[in-house]
Amino acid sequence: MKQLAVFVLAAGALLAQPRMVELRGTSPLVTIRLVFTTGAASDPAGKPGLAHLTSQVLGNGGTKDLAYKQILDALYPMAASVEVYSDKEMTTFVGETHVDNLQKFYALMRDMVLHPGWRAEDLTRVKDASINSLRVGLRGNNDEELGKEILYTAIYPGHPYGHENMGTASAIADMTKADLEGFYQQNYTQANLIIGLAGGYPVDFAARIKKDFSALPAGKPGRIKLPAPARIEGNEVTLVEKDTRSVAWSFGFPLEVKRGDPDFPALLVMQSWFGQHRSNNHLYDRMREIRGLNYGDYAYIEYFPRGMFLTEPEANLARQQQIFQIWIRPVEPDTATYSLRLAMFELDKLVKNGMTKEDFERTRTYLSKYVNVLTRTKSAELGYAIDSLWYGIPNYNEYLKTGLAKLTLLDVNKAIRKHLRADRLQIAGIAKDVARLRTELISDAPTPMHYNSAKPQEIMDEDKIVEKLPLRIRAESIKVVPVAGVFEK
Amino acid sequence: MKRILALSLILLVISFAASAAGKIFPYAYNQEDLPNGLRLVTIPTDYPNIVAVFIVVATGSRNEVEPGKSGFAHLFEHLMFRGTPEFSPERYQVELRNAGAYSNAFTTDDFTAYHTTFSKEDLARVLTMEADRFQHLAYEKPAFRTEALAVLGEYNKNSANPGSRLSETLRATAFGEHTYKHTTMGFIADIQAMPEQFDYSRQFFDRYYRPEYTTIIVAGDIDAKKVSALVSEGWGNWKRGSYQAQIPAEPAQNGARAAHVEWPTPTLPWVVAAWRGPAYTDDALDSVALDAVARLGFSESSPLFQKLVISEQKADAIFGGQPASVDPQLFSVRARVKKEGDLATIEQQIVAEAQSFATRMVDPKQLEILKQRMRYEFALRLDSSESIAQTVARYVALRRTPETINRYFDLFDKLTPADIQKVAAKYLTEKNRTVVTLTSAGSAK
Repeated sequence: MKQLAVFVLAAGALLAQPRMVELRGTSPLVTIRLVFTTGAASDPAGKPGLAHLTSQVLGNGGTKDLAYKQILDALYPMAASVEVYSDKEMTTFVGETHVDNLQKFYALMRDMVLHPGWRAEDLTRVKDASINSLRVGLRGNNDEELGKEILYTAIYPGHPYGHENMGTASAIADMTKADLEGFYQQNYTQANLIIGLAGGYPVDFAARIKKDFSALPAGKPGRIKLPAPARIEGNEVTLVEKDTRSVAWSFGFPLEVKRGDPDFPALLVMQSWFGQHRSNNHLYDRMREIRGLNYGDYAYIEYFPRGMFLTEPEANLARQQQIFQIWIRPVEPDTATYSLRLAMFELDKLVKNGMTKEDFERTRTYLSKYVNVLTRTKSAELGYAIDSLWYGIPNYNEYLKTGLAKLTLLDVNKAIRKHLRADRLQIAGIAKDVARLRTELISDAPTPMHYNSAKPQEIMDEDKIVEKLPLRIRAESIKVVPVAGVFEK
Repeated sequence: MKRILALSLILLVISFAASAAGKIFPYAYNQEDLPNGLRLVTIPTDYPNIVAVFIVVATGSRNEVEPGKSGFAHLFEHLMFRGTPEFSPERYQVELRNAGAYSNAFTTDDFTAYHTTFSKEDLARVLTMEADRFQHLAYEKPAFRTEALAVLGEYNKNSANPGSRLSETLRATAFGEHTYKHTTMGFIADIQAMPEQFDYSRQFFDRYYRPEYTTIIVAGDIDAKKVSALVSEGWGNWKRGSYQAQIPAEPAQNGARAAHVEWPTPTLPWVVAAWRGPAYTDDALDSVALDAVARLGFSESSPLFQKLVISEQKADAIFGGQPASVDPQLFSVRARVKKEGDLATIEQQIVAEAQSFATRMVDPKQLEILKQRMRYEFALRLDSSESIAQTVARYVALRRTPETINRYFDLFDKLTPADIQKVAAKYLTEKNRTVVTLTSAGSAK
């Protein structure tokens, strides 16, 4: 026991310095990814959004020596950029430059992260931008993303994942420079840092960047300890009332499987067949292609933000806990309840019947090739490599190919039955006429579907079941919230 | 007609390998024309294993000349996934899945692009399937009517964003005749009526899905000769068409125009100021000069951006530019304003800044910095075979050759402050201007 403790300590001491992921090549484009393993899950009590705001001020503010305006002027001739995004447990700075400008660019990016200026005017500007992102970008302009974020907050009440990454408008408004500096001191440490490099950078560049970043406090290795998510007792619904054309749905539940776990490849096969974007998935086929209900219907086993603008999730959104979710793009209000029923029906069928041998074989072939497409840019390959380090798995392409090769249909269907379910769901909807929708959901009355063209008998027969599918939603399980209050306090 | 047919019987392939030395587009590419008018551009790259195919059809919302048919090019993009006698939609998708492919499509004012990214061993399979659907698309009425609803779903998905409405209003105000007056999505009334347009959809296919409208771009880990052979084999018998759309010319604008949008829910105010600009050109200075104005005037490093966004913090976004387009389009500048009370003054400042380029000389040093940036910006864009093909696709839609990229950047390199002033004076005038504002309904003015 004593020996073990010494070993852990030694490993810990060893880890209290930045970890490196290198993909050195010949490309004139160089990508630098600085990933800090901290984020919204580390927001202190009463300050939701602090991790996000801190990272945004670093990525969109001045350094000790240069005002933000000067940084923009310096970046401009290089066409180089520093992009920042943050999630629950990762905060990522992505720098891209041509190798001609690497030294100049790196010095800027380094100082933005190592020597922030914390100017009051930067804080004011970035706070405004964050509040506007919440109120206008998310709440105002993007109903499907709003539904997804509402779902996450409903699934994790009282949990470190329980608030939107950006926080609330009032909490952001109250944040001070001292709050940000405090968060920075505690979380921007060597132990939390993974440095990723890709492209044709000089051979000694990695050592230099590692040395520079050893100026950060050592910090303690380790991850935030997360409680288990609350148990969902029955179908629970949050309806957001908003003046909007159509109805957006998201629903799901916590998943016990994350990347690196034994059942992950099996569930990834399920995801790809049942719900992956641009793979002509089963749900999309049944809901959009056959019935024309909307623009698309998807299911995922990992967090996938910004889906309005992306068809593949970005890298560096790693989490210790994930959810299974179905994402139904806006439907016409008349078909809202039917659409929800149909998605629940398909999920139920998936859990009961699993995948067929043919679908399994096809999807496995697809995924083992598609992984090359997924990592087709150096930046994506680097991002996935960093995630693999975090999850403790080999190179993602290898991990997946090996995992898929070993997989049987039995494994996949066992994993589906073990981890998925079609009841005890958290459901989020964005709609205008929530009173009518609420009544419709509670009454459980049939919602027959009418089409503008003839459908095969198989579909008409299926609809007879779907239109009456028991929703099992009790009046007290529906929470109605006006959109103006969402993510405000 | 006979002569065209006779010519097409001779397997005449015009081909040349462009040398990349000293040019902005760093890849040696091969460009060849089949006798039926189809053009193939192959670009071997140094990114391993992956191949990207972009098929560009030179038809977009610009071609929607008949009333009630706005949005049709985009609807057609959807219909292209609805199957052929040989490959049903299900089989097409199965084949794509077997190839591990990523496949999608998009429509713009001027063109529609179909693209697939996949592992190199599946090249023949992908090209065969693409050849099949471009020549033998065959969907039935029920599938057509269902797909029209998916397009309505796409409209619904975007409809919560005031930016869509701002664009719709700007186009409808600035154009009266030309088809750029509607967005690529189309008018909502036309979208809702789409299920009734089955016959027209067949006509649309017959007119535009023809080899003379189409360019295939294949980039990645490829052997150009093999690609060429595959394309000749699969696409050589595709029949040339004869249709040419009569796109109405937009008469000159003779005075400033304005419009306002009231948005039903809370949002931040927007202003867009636009001027009637040129069509894309690579043999005159009009396009490069206005692209320079967009960056010198309204990029993150411009004085106005730094004043309004960084110092005064009255706006949280400003950006401007003109899309490279087949016919004259709008040069526009947009800003999102934090307080409605500042909307009028920000509008004035944007207009004044843009129009000032007509009367002043830009700093030659700033212009040199911009030239440097343009080159790096372009180089950074080429980060995968897919983005190389995509970049080329946008230019191919305009001039049908990647060579236009080199011509454009050569012109940019020669640009002088006097050139910018001359071009700005031609386009950025009061009589050419349209301004649209957007505010929340019921908010304090």
